[in-house]
Amino acid sequence: MECSFAITGKDYVLVASDTNAARSIIKMKSDEDKTKILSPHLVMTYSGEPGDTVQFAEYVERNIRLQHIRNIHELRPSSSAAWIRRSLADSLRSRHPYSVNLLLGGYDAATDTPKLYWIDYLGTLAEVPFAAHGYGSYFALSLLDRYHNPEASLEEGVATLKRCISEVQKRLVVNLETFKVRVVDKDGVREIEL
Amino acid sequence: MSSAAGGGGAYSFSLTTFSPSGKLVQIEHALAAVAQGTTSLGIKATNGIVIATEKKSSSILIDDSMIEKVAVICPNIGIVYSGMGPDFRVLVTKARKTAQAYWKLYGEYPPTRVLTQDIATVMQEATQSGGVRPFGVSLLVAGWDKVRGPSLYQVDPSGSFWAWKASAIGKNMINAKTFLEKRYNDDISLEDAIHTALLTLKEGFEGQMTEKTIEIGVVTVPSPEDLVAPPGERVKPVFRKLSEEEVRDYLAL
Amino acid sequence: MSIMSYNGGSIVAMVGKDCVAIASDLRLGNQALTIATNFEKVFPVTDRLYVGLPGLATDVVTLRERFRFRVNMYTIKEEREIEPETFAHLVSSTLYERRFGPYFVEPVIAGLEKGTNKPFIATTDLIGCLTLPKDFAVAGTASDKLFGVAEGLWEPDLEPEDLFETISQTLMNAVDRDAFSGWGAIVHLITPDQVITRTLKARMD
Repeated sequence: MECSFAITGKDYVLVASDTNAARSIIKMKSDEDKTKILSPHLVMTYSGEPGDTVQFAEYVERNIRLQHIRNIHELRPSSSAAWIRRSLADSLRSRHPYSVNLLLGGYDAATDTPKLYWIDYLGTLAEVPFAAHGYGSYFALSLLDRYHNPEASLEEGVATLKRCISEVQKRLVVNLETFKVRVVDKDGVREIEL
Repeated sequence: MSSAAGGGGAYSFSLTTFSPSGKLVQIEHALAAVAQGTTSLGIKATNGIVIATEKKSSSILIDDSMIEKVAVICPNIGIVYSGMGPDFRVLVTKARKTAQAYWKLYGEYPPTRVLTQDIATVMQEATQSGGVRPFGVSLLVAGWDKVRGPSLYQVDPSGSFWAWKASAIGKNMINAKTFLEKRYNDDISLEDAIHTALLTLKEGFEGQMTEKTIEIGVVTVPSPEDLVAPPGERVKPVFRKLSEEEVRDYLAL
Repeated sequence: MSIMSYNGGSIVAMVGKDCVAIASDLRLGNQALTIATNFEKVFPVTDRLYVGLPGLATDVVTLRERFRFRVNMYTIKEEREIEPETFAHLVSSTLYERRFGPYFVEPVIAGLEKGTNKPFIATTDLIGCLTLPKDFAVAGTASDKLFGVAEGLWEPDLEPEDLFETISQTLMNAVDRDAFSGWGAIVHLITPDQVITRTLKARMD
């Protein structure tokens, strides 16, 4: 029942994730941050099997940080995505695979381009203009087919994101009250209050 | 921490230790073992390659038909050695396995260059690993492949290898090489090369040269038709050993 | 639900006169939901040899990386480029290595032999059993439809431009009848002196 969205715009990527932490049919927490800032220009949402998610997200976070320290340079979004994908693909064929779905938003400072990657627990990787995980994807993707504009300003992007969120809040049987939204651009990652 | 080797110098026996002059003396000792071995030689011709060696047994009671000094590695490659027989046997086994592993991966046999490099790597590893000694052999590798055509390589105990037009290893290598330098020319035919090989061996030969005391292997450059297998058959091998009858015929000429 | 059709996608390769072509759709889906419409499944191996990998998308990427690694090692060790037939065997043995826990991919290989410029196409199943057709090779979720259309359109000794038209029409008409393939297409036409790559204007519904 988790839900995450991400959209690219002119020189930025917006990522959003619901903030519910549920166990079976019980909502345990409604202010859980299911995003992680991996490096100055890289942010990730994660969802999936509880336990696997945080474990894998922290594993990724520390390894991307390690790359940053070793090379005195942050790993570029495309390379980060490839490394994360490979970790999940190797995990898939191990005795206990992680089941974690990710949206990876980054700003490639070398080419001045926003990058967005859709990654699932199988290790499937796709670079996309907009993406979603969870039941929300059935609403959001068709909505974004209609309203996404790669040249949109941040204000316009946020408005489009709000459309997705309110559609989910209106039509999905589960109530997803709040969303944590982060934007990444040339200045780094920061949170946006809707 | 005194060496078990004692007086002969601490550098004589420990392989992983350089002598102060920058030598690995064990490798030089291995070359000395090669230099005591019977002479082998190889000559590259326009349409093929010949490798040959003398086969000497210490007693007339030994059944010399069992001794094999020229070995087929795969249908396109054969090798001959000078030095220690048992070490050669180990290398032949490894080389044959390498060739079959290559075939399983790529559906064809390795080019001579690639197989030679694999053998050379095995030999080099014996100069840097603990608990082993270098191989006491030098090899001549003769093969044909569609990348480089016919090629002849020599591999030494150190693991270094070179391509030759003609070369000799073992007891009489210096004289044999001088002889080959005089006799060799770039447009020699395979038939002439075989005769030159026998003449060269004759130079340092002790005793009678017969089909029992000589071993010959030849690479014949195949025509495009040769590479197409007749229905239900295999492509005929590019490298083959000459039978005793064939050797006798060459010696008679 | 089959793993082979989880992400969808189709590939076709065809032989022409001194040329070959290989084409694929661009869809990446999660069953019926389309995730991306820019997912390429055909990759260059050398400048006259391509491999198409339809099937489970995670394995498509993993295998692309593994083949790139193995081909690079081959090129360095052998000091030459790999030939189509040799590469086909490499693909076969790489897949058979995982006989009892396979990669869910059915590769299609298309290239020109060095020197002779003889066209070469091949397919394997997911455990590496090689098939060497002399006309065309198909794979993916629309393979049944591709067989039908290719059977009708293909003819021997097509010139490069005619081959391009034939393979493009074959792919587009086949994927239009497949819910898991489509959403754009890309064609690589390999001729002795160049490779022409074109993205097709396809139905985006």
